[in-house]
Amino acid sequence: MSWRRWLAMGEVELSCLAYVKMYLHACLFPRCSVNGLLLSSSPAGGAVCVTDCVPLLHTHLPLAPITQLALTQVDVWCAQTQQRIVGYYQANACVSDSSPTPCALKIADKIAEQCNNAVLLMIDGGKMSPDYRVPPIVMYERKDTRWTLKDKHTIMLRQWEETRDIASQLLDSGDHSLLVDFDSHLDDITRDWTNQKLNAKIAELASPANGNV
Amino acid sequence: VNVLIIVFTEMRDKLRKWREDNHRNSEQIVDVGEELINEHASKLGDDIWIIYEQVMIAALDCSRDDLAWTCLQELKKQFPGSQRVKRLAGMRLEALEKYEDASKQYDSILQDDPTNTAARKRKISILKAQGKSAEAIRELNEYLEQFVGDQEAWHELSELYINEHDYGKAAFCLEELMMTNPHNHLYCEQYAEVKYTQGGLENLELSRKYFAQALKLNNGNMRALFGLYMSASHIAASPKVNATVKKANVKYAAWATNQINRAYQVTKTNQLPVEELLLRSS
Repeated sequence: MSWRRWLAMGEVELSCLAYVKMYLHACLFPRCSVNGLLLSSSPAGGAVCVTDCVPLLHTHLPLAPITQLALTQVDVWCAQTQQRIVGYYQANACVSDSSPTPCALKIADKIAEQCNNAVLLMIDGGKMSPDYRVPPIVMYERKDTRWTLKDKHTIMLRQWEETRDIASQLLDSGDHSLLVDFDSHLDDITRDWTNQKLNAKIAELASPANGNV
Repeated sequence: VNVLIIVFTEMRDKLRKWREDNHRNSEQIVDVGEELINEHASKLGDDIWIIYEQVMIAALDCSRDDLAWTCLQELKKQFPGSQRVKRLAGMRLEALEKYEDASKQYDSILQDDPTNTAARKRKISILKAQGKSAEAIRELNEYLEQFVGDQEAWHELSELYINEHDYGKAAFCLEELMMTNPHNHLYCEQYAEVKYTQGGLENLELSRKYFAQALKLNNGNMRALFGLYMSASHIAASPKVNATVKKANVKYAAWATNQINRAYQVTKTNQLPVEELLLRSS
């Protein structure tokens, strides 16, 4: 039976690709708050499978113009690549505070307008060191217009240890600097915010040939 | 032997350039600086002291307390009782999250020298690190009453206000910065972004003007270009503007679209046509 069939309603699966890029985004800008969008290539209905993410900003998260621009561009790209925006992630600069900021809630609300089981994911900066045994993330879901903490047991990360190791490997090798967020793209428009290069590197590390299933 | 000398001077010059440009590329500084200190200390002459300081700060950034400690000890030996070294000791305490001790360190500097701006700013940084934004904002305002020309402080304050969603006050800080730095395209562009965020027709028109100004100062500023497109489009689409204003803004938006397309064509990236954006934002 396929993995997908095991997931019931209300559960969220986070792919290796999405997790690794989010994690690296936070590592690349340790002194800034960073955010991004969570995408899914699975059809709507049933469990939410986050299959990819697009890192957006590391400066001025609360300001509107670049956020609006990025949302529009990602929306169009998703339509072209059969993906949907299913959520939002953020890592706060202040490591001791992993609660969603007003702008996080605002953007998540906007996403929820189009996707009724949208997720809001906060990266817990205090738990990001490699020896942490669980993913340093906290998820929120929308219940009656309010974002409430999601039960940890309904967040699935297949092969967490392998995923964690891939993220560490890329950090150690310095390859995390390959990651391009939308902010960086605006600084130099030759840089690709869809991160094809980094995606390929992650896929390589995750492939069966490397001993990963 | 000659090759080693070349390598040494290259390393020393790199560090100097990063110092002068105030780069925070801490990992590189630690890499280059540590080697320089360990292998070539004797050749550095008096430069070594400023290098110790530079490397120490970078080491703190990279959680290299061992290296930071070594540098600090050398500086303490050479400059006993120095306020500047005291401040570095304070920064190390901050890095170790010993905020009370760090604050005491800065207080003792300020007791001897109440005008020591570095110590005051470090105290504000501690408030920021602890998430005490309201206090940080209050202290920074007080600081700026005394040191009204401190650009860095004005910019820091604008950032703090933006994070608190107090856009009016953020705009005020950026106005100060634009007044004293009229050729800085980044301040214009940030001001425009704040105005756009505040919303409403008047603010949108202001934002469009300042995006345009930023472009005049630097026509490569993509944020300003996109900002001009978006603000002009929104104004043109507003039911509150008359036909003349509408027409003018349609023109601005069209010009911006053109420029954006050209910019992306030059880079040969498969970027989405801006016409798509036009469809979406209206």
